[in-house]
Amino acid sequence: MIEHLLILGDLLDLFTSPGRLIAVLIEGLAKASLYVMIASGLTLIFGLMDVINFAHGAFTMYGAYMAGGLILAVGAAEMGFAMVVVVFLLVMLTIFLVLALIGTVMEVSLVRRLYEYPPIFQILLTFGIAITLEEFMRMFVEFQGINNGQYRFGWETPRLETVPTALRGATDIGLIRFENIHVLEILLGVVTVVAIWAFLNRTRYGLFVRAGVEDEEMAAALGINVKQTFTVVFAIGSGIAGAAGVILMWDPLWSVSVPLALAVLLPAFVIVIVGGLGSFKGTVVASLLVGMIDAFGTWAFQTGAITFTGIDDLMIFGILVVMLILQPRGLFGVEGQGDHG
Amino acid sequence: MSFLELEGVQTYYGQSHILQGVDLEVTEGEVVALLGRNGVGKTTTIRSILQLTPPRSGDVRFRGESLVGKDTHEVAEAGIGWIPEGRRMFARLSVEENLRAAVPNATDVDEALGTAYDTFPILHERQGQRAGTLSGGQQQMLAIARGLIGDNDLLLIDEPSEGLAPQIVSDVGRALLSASQEVSILLVEQKLSLALDLADRFYVMDHGTIIDSGETADVTAGDERLRRHLSA
Repeated sequence: MIEHLLILGDLLDLFTSPGRLIAVLIEGLAKASLYVMIASGLTLIFGLMDVINFAHGAFTMYGAYMAGGLILAVGAAEMGFAMVVVVFLLVMLTIFLVLALIGTVMEVSLVRRLYEYPPIFQILLTFGIAITLEEFMRMFVEFQGINNGQYRFGWETPRLETVPTALRGATDIGLIRFENIHVLEILLGVVTVVAIWAFLNRTRYGLFVRAGVEDEEMAAALGINVKQTFTVVFAIGSGIAGAAGVILMWDPLWSVSVPLALAVLLPAFVIVIVGGLGSFKGTVVASLLVGMIDAFGTWAFQTGAITFTGIDDLMIFGILVVMLILQPRGLFGVEGQGDHG
Repeated sequence: MSFLELEGVQTYYGQSHILQGVDLEVTEGEVVALLGRNGVGKTTTIRSILQLTPPRSGDVRFRGESLVGKDTHEVAEAGIGWIPEGRRMFARLSVEENLRAAVPNATDVDEALGTAYDTFPILHERQGQRAGTLSGGQQQMLAIARGLIGDNDLLLIDEPSEGLAPQIVSDVGRALLSASQEVSILLVEQKLSLALDLADRFYVMDHGTIIDSGETADVTAGDERLRRHLSA
């Protein structure tokens, strides 16, 4: 009885103290930003092109490891704020380009051959690629002694210590406390959303993508090189997956590890399906939904209202189940998208 | 010299042998009607020219160059446009975006849009509207406009009057007549009177082959010669 009263007290406290509520909302926004970065690449590849890419999470995991290596190599942990930001953006751009290149090779050499076959062929192919990539990284990690960020080749700094000093801690503005890393996450989330939206809606290539997705034959008959367009989309999706790994590397809830691949893949699929296949807007809204639920779940856990550690996953997959029962097409799903015959 | 030339074209859908040796040609500046009952292979002929359903044997040549083995977008780049049966709008794209998608390689997109809007002013009024919400007639105008602005030398037009009200059919007919002054046309059309009005020559198809051909000036829609081939 007393426990229940305490929980009720916490709830009242949350909703009557604006500072605390805003702090939870900001954390929700930060989590949503991470989710939108994870899911955006997948929504391009799976939601628009209808390619079920199980290697998506592995790309993010590779992005995280490569970024960790680069950050340590350049000694970003000890740099000042401005330099850290520059290095961080350069690392992110590099990872984006490297993963985009890997995605291009994968699409041109393997995935493209299977567009005309039933989706199970893509599932088997990309699942195989995912396992291969994960096991390859596992071997590398074992042989190089990279364990929790302890690099054998001279980089002895633990992973969490690689978070630059400038990004650790929090900043108070009035009653509201901003975790510095959350601010960076939110900014990157906003930039990701704006960049993808602008690419799809404000560029000629984005127009070709939307036309090709809707009617591939008609687009080709108008002179659009649909194959090339899909390769570019696959490359961008893969690049974004890798870039997401760069920021996940610093978030204590995700961190760098081989299982990150699966940890990323599942919520990414949930968000794309809940948002609706073919709808980027749906992915953004679903990311916000999942991010907020995650943040409130974390808050409930911290207050002791909930003691089950898997509450975040339970709620995220609960949303998926409810959505599939009530509206199988998702929040903003497009007719015909993902309808595999 | 033949502009478009099909020689012994054999096309399959899986195991189904649809085109069983089609020979036809369209010369520059000409409008040619391809007639025949439903299911005889007219649309497959167009799809074979565009390499959407590539022939297994035979040849399709445009300006003397074989199109077989090319990608469909390369066929379009060679100057062949398609106004398909059922219009096939990009329903989620606006009218303007549909038109922009029709000129992927154009250097002056605004000029192309201007041509489309001059031909069909209603499209200008609806430029921001999603194409899927247009009426059937407006969608057909958009489909024709896409074909007209694509800097094409040959248009493959499949059933342009299908499902349209009589008033709209005459509008579409006028637009096609105007188009025929500038480009060659291979026209598949069930409305015999419209096809004969527009075309200089005709081919009749049955069971995947050409069974008759001639000058449209020599026949009328009521002729026994055509009725025999086209009646179900």
